[in-house]
Amino acid sequence: MINIKNLHKNFGDLKVIKGIDLHVKSGEVVCIIGPSGSGKSTVLRCINKLEVPSSGSIAVDGHDIMDKQTNINEVRAEAGMVFQQFNLFPHMSILENVTLGPIKVRNMSKTDADELGVKLLEKVGLKDKAENYPDQLSGGQKQRVAIARSLALQPKVILFDEPTSALDPELVGEVLDVMQKLAKEGMTMVVVTHEMGFAKEVADRVIFIDEGVIQEEGAPDNFFSNPKNPRLKDFLGKVVSHL
Amino acid sequence: MAFVFETSVFWDTFPMLMRGLKLTVQIAVGGLFFGFILGSLAGLMKLARSLVVRKLAGVYVEAIRGTPMLVQAMFLYYGVPMAVGVRISPITAGIIIIAVNSGAYIAEIVRGAVQSINPGQVEAGRSIGLTRTQTMLYVVWPQALKRMIPPLGNQFIISLKDTSLLMVIGVGELMRTGQEITSVNFRAFEVYLAVACVYLVMTLSIAQGMKMLEKKLNTSRR
Repeated sequence: MINIKNLHKNFGDLKVIKGIDLHVKSGEVVCIIGPSGSGKSTVLRCINKLEVPSSGSIAVDGHDIMDKQTNINEVRAEAGMVFQQFNLFPHMSILENVTLGPIKVRNMSKTDADELGVKLLEKVGLKDKAENYPDQLSGGQKQRVAIARSLALQPKVILFDEPTSALDPELVGEVLDVMQKLAKEGMTMVVVTHEMGFAKEVADRVIFIDEGVIQEEGAPDNFFSNPKNPRLKDFLGKVVSHL
Repeated sequence: MAFVFETSVFWDTFPMLMRGLKLTVQIAVGGLFFGFILGSLAGLMKLARSLVVRKLAGVYVEAIRGTPMLVQAMFLYYGVPMAVGVRISPITAGIIIIAVNSGAYIAEIVRGAVQSINPGQVEAGRSIGLTRTQTMLYVVWPQALKRMIPPLGNQFIISLKDTSLLMVIGVGELMRTGQEITSVNFRAFEVYLAVACVYLVMTLSIAQGMKMLEKKLNTSRR
């Protein structure tokens, strides 16, 4: 589904990604963890070309995003994204937030889009908020709307960029529940997260990125119970010691 | 000889100003309508990817902001026809001048408002597959428009007052009508006070209208 080869990304003189290879199979849930500034969000943002890679190649569902012939808007519609800060459209109702993509990108009629929108809002448990506006919702509710908004394009993969990092602790669970439900339904997901519990329980594979390279990857069981890389050991030690 | 305020002259001036008022309103509305279109275009051009397009808009804005409107009016009405051989009516010239002049200031208002929208909004729009244009049209512009309202109201008031300068190219607007009345009755105090009152009523109305619009958009969501 996603095939990243030798990805590099520089911001000016700063080398953020220094050669990353990553292959994500259809239906797979991959969690990316790592300290802040390690480049994990940048990798995610390169996949739908919100950041333009400095070198390397990325293919999403067979489409080479670096190829000038590729219509990046079509690729983005196939690869939904959920942001840390939700980024809902504040001037639109919740339902309009969800239906904008289907109407403008998929050329769906308003009636069909509304029907789809209500169905998706029901799925994330917010059907009764359809006519509300983003500023009337809690953070957790906003993020669930954002998930519905990306689902509305019927994407083949969803990229989650620290989806629970901006939430109050008591609101994290409701978002993770929705994500877990999606994972069970077979959605391909790449999740940058600090929620080790979620990674352990839901991920098929966990990847540890530090200093712009993948330091260690593996199935969650081994990964968390028996880390080999000293940086990962150190990282997990710091995260766990506060629990 | 003590000055005596002629109340009847003051009140009688208002009906005589009506024809000029009509022209002032026509020119202000027409000029600001096209000025807003021109300004939006120039403002968005200032944010374009192409350096040439950005520079083009920059030159327009700087040239207009850096020269007095009085000079612009004289140049367009008396100067340009000499060069191109086409005469335009004073009213048309007035609308063009207000449009071109206000457009330069509105361009900066538009640019500022668009730039003030959180980049996350653009990313969210692009991430669901909207094109750059669609993202601007459906996501950024409606939010930016709301932020433009207070400075736009300000510019509308300035441009409305600036129409008085058009008397120099022979537009029979409010100010010129007042001047014509004084040239007959020599009651400058009463007549110009009346003229000032008419401008004040219009500018206060714009300010009030903008306030109400802002409030309405705030309560009925952004």
